Amino acid sequence: MGGKVTCTLGEVKQRADFIIYWGGNPAECHPRHFTKYTLMQKSKFLPKGRKDRTMVLVDIRETKSVKASDIFLQVRPGKDFELITILRALVKEQHVTDAQIAETGITREVLDDLVARMKAAKFGCMFFGMGLSMTRGKHMNSAALLTLAAEMNAFTKFVAMPMRGHGNVTGADVIMRWQTGFPFGISFNRGYPRYNPGEFSTVDVLVRGDCDAAFIIGADPGGTMPQPAIDHLKRIPTIVLDPHITHTSKLARVHITTAAQGIAAPGTAYRMDEIPMPLKPALKSPYPSDEEVVRRINEAIAKKPFWIPEGSMPQMLTEQV
Amino acid sequence: MLRITGGKVYDPANKIDGQIKDLHIDSDGRLCEPTSEGRSIDATGMIVMPGGVDVHTHVAGGAINFARAMTPEDHRRTQAFIRTKTRRSGLGGMAPTTFATGYLYAGMGWTTVNEAAVPVLSARHTHEELADIPIVDKSTLTLMANNEIMLDQMEAGEYERARDVVAWYIWAAKSYGVKAVNPGGVAAWKWGGDARQLSSPIEGYDKITPGTIVTQLARICDDLGLPHPMHLHCNDLGAPGNIKTTLDTLKHLEGSRAHIAHSQYHAYGGDGWESICSATAQLAEYFNTHPNITTDAGAVLFGDTVTITADGPWQHLLYKLTGRKWGNLDVENETGCGIVPYTYRPSNLVNAVQWACGLELLLLIQNPWQVFLSTDHPNGGCFWRYPEIIKLLMSRDFREECIKKLPSNIKNKIVLPEIDREYTLSDVATSMSAGPARALGLKQKGNLGVGCDADIVIYEQEDDPGEMFAHPRYVIKGGEVIIEDGEIREAPDGREYIARPFYDPATNDFMRPLFEDCYTMAFDNYPVEMERVHGASIHECKPGDAS
Amino acid sequence: MSATAAKTETPLQVIDNATCTFCGCVCDDIQLHHDEMRIHKAKKACVLGTAWFLNHTAEKKYPAALIDGKEATVDEAIEETARLLHEADMPLIYGMSNTTCEAQKECAAMADSLGGLLDSHTSL
Repeated sequence: MGGKVTCTLGEVKQRADFIIYWGGNPAECHPRHFTKYTLMQKSKFLPKGRKDRTMVLVDIRETKSVKASDIFLQVRPGKDFELITILRALVKEQHVTDAQIAETGITREVLDDLVARMKAAKFGCMFFGMGLSMTRGKHMNSAALLTLAAEMNAFTKFVAMPMRGHGNVTGADVIMRWQTGFPFGISFNRGYPRYNPGEFSTVDVLVRGDCDAAFIIGADPGGTMPQPAIDHLKRIPTIVLDPHITHTSKLARVHITTAAQGIAAPGTAYRMDEIPMPLKPALKSPYPSDEEVVRRINEAIAKKPFWIPEGSMPQMLTEQV
Repeated sequence: MLRITGGKVYDPANKIDGQIKDLHIDSDGRLCEPTSEGRSIDATGMIVMPGGVDVHTHVAGGAINFARAMTPEDHRRTQAFIRTKTRRSGLGGMAPTTFATGYLYAGMGWTTVNEAAVPVLSARHTHEELADIPIVDKSTLTLMANNEIMLDQMEAGEYERARDVVAWYIWAAKSYGVKAVNPGGVAAWKWGGDARQLSSPIEGYDKITPGTIVTQLARICDDLGLPHPMHLHCNDLGAPGNIKTTLDTLKHLEGSRAHIAHSQYHAYGGDGWESICSATAQLAEYFNTHPNITTDAGAVLFGDTVTITADGPWQHLLYKLTGRKWGNLDVENETGCGIVPYTYRPSNLVNAVQWACGLELLLLIQNPWQVFLSTDHPNGGCFWRYPEIIKLLMSRDFREECIKKLPSNIKNKIVLPEIDREYTLSDVATSMSAGPARALGLKQKGNLGVGCDADIVIYEQEDDPGEMFAHPRYVIKGGEVIIEDGEIREAPDGREYIARPFYDPATNDFMRPLFEDCYTMAFDNYPVEMERVHGASIHECKPGDAS
Repeated sequence: MSATAAKTETPLQVIDNATCTFCGCVCDDIQLHHDEMRIHKAKKACVLGTAWFLNHTAEKKYPAALIDGKEATVDEAIEETARLLHEADMPLIYGMSNTTCEAQKECAAMADSLGGLLDSHTSL
């Protein structure tokens, strides 16, 4: 397992005659996904638009997205990984027992039909949401689905894509990767980037009380994180940059109001398929942009002594320990 | 202001071959007439060359950044650059971070790099990454040979339209030239197919073939007066027996300029993985009789790397062959991209043939102005291993030592053991700097003449060329001393070269409806704004200027 | 310019192909009608995007900065932030969802220069 077989959204718009949404509710969470990128668009390859496409929704409950689907598979909660694994087996015509299938809450007939449709597609695309990636199995679920997509290429063209939410979280991923090699969960405490989710990821760091200051920007952990994490943010100096006074601002030592991105602050944001989009702010905010404030903080930090004493470290380690 | 005195200068562009010569640098960072001002570097006994120019590398943008995401295990073990008060930290390895990319290139004396594969849709991203690669100057090539809007014009026999469309895209991407990858094959890959026959119509089209795309696109690059000719990754990369396809492709280029990328991957005989063998002699012969074509080696070095290419179908095959991770990213209307980590092993017969082929091409193509040092980073090996290749080229004994480690049944599959040629320092300077600079049309690079950029590398003469080229004593970029005694002294921002070809102003209106049919971005938001290109230096193309 | 000085009678200005950053779709075909103080209409935006655009204004609703709950200037808050982060042994830089790439790059630079931790929403 590993890797990701994907495409930009325009490929889906132009070619995808078979679309699966897994663990997501685009009708309510990404309302224009159907109309702008996937289901409703006509193209030279799919001249009848919606009629030329089949949409399958997989979720644990009926959401508003069901109405837009041709086939709805209600998977038993926590059984996504099992269902994907069974699909991987059925695609390869491997044996799966009735008991294994029954566990997922879906019948063999439905799965056989699904597999036949997947193989008959000219271009299949699977979108997966937090209902898959944030429930039992978490990143293992995502990896299993990505593997299913990769393996489908033995039969026909197939791709998969996460339905990233939260504004520009994709941009953060992309930038951290080019600047540090890693997408999140990074420590610079040896003077160079290291990656270890679980050790350097925020909830873990806060719950263990490993950090002694926190700089929060474009997020409100004070409203969303587990209480022990919030308690630690209260204990240590916390600084918040946000267009609003947030839950976190209220427990912070410092809050700085900034202009909202794309509305009053210019710049760039990345779409879920990692395409950068320019921002065109309409309003002139009385507040500075995040970019300006963080740059000025960096300038102020640069005037203070650097934490690694000069000459105490080599310029480069040829191998990390 | 800087003077470099007493060094043995290798400056092939000015036919200087090891003569003792002083170099003088003015306050604008260019070589100038003798001056007595400024710091003086005593280079007595040392070797002075123009800074290296990488004609074909993948260092910035969606593809290499995808590769970074897929290789965290390598980041964890590789070189780590420690943060200093003024200098950002970074990691080296198979897919180095941006800052480390600049340090590693400069650290071995390379001062200009050409990012060879940029989709226009994500060109903004590429430029942002390039801005974070310090020290070196940069240029980018736009992926065109599978762009369906352009292919539709060729299919309709609208050559002028196709030319305007190409020019429009180059300027929209703020790039420097045109890259063609597996013409027609990547477009076919959008349906899971490929294009391996030069004369068969490509999937989805009735008339155009890979051959016609190659011919027309090369002519378009010439007609637009682009400083660099069409930069071509041929069809059928990596496949046994692909020499036929490669030679056939070259015949489609008669009368045009062209640069053939990583030709090592296109020089195989045999008809299967068992019978694969080197066909470099045939390919080299073609280059030796066709001075209008240049190439870079795409040499392979044994070890771990990650392969990244716009050639989606090839990467799917490589994934099936290796069973390792597979990344794929198809880009709407324009191109594709595939990523597979790979380990070249001396014990693997195919890898051994590949290793030999890269060196054979560098040695069998007689004119060093035609064949340039590259590994198609990171595909054949990481760029920071170039000194190993230089050593292999300069020392026949070292080559023999390495050949001994290959499987014994390699004997009749390669010609490397029979090649006596050893690169001279002048050959090295041509292949790593003067030649690629000229091929890129960067007149101020790879040249130590008055008025050129003072990008200079100074080596202490050592017996082991691998050591010598890996550790320059000084590296000077734009007149600034960047590396001194193995330490990075400065990490200034580099320039970015872009080309502005002419196109009919009506192209905008022509493009808009076609664009809106297949893209998902607003037409007006698509072209990269000039202010997003950091340190831009614009080449105004004049039609017919190509030479 | 203070909030009250904004002209409310002028005809609305129009921005074509504006980009909505509320969700990962990042639609860039939104037409914004605004008077510099607030956005009155966001054509083509979905219900979430419309709320996103119309709920933000250029009013000065909040103090520029707060230090320990007391109003402060941005300059003071920046100095205090730099002091607190520099004093810390293991500062954490977290979030970066609702902000621009340009700010994200500055955040990565900050964590690098402090020898701290850098993390986004993705780790949740």
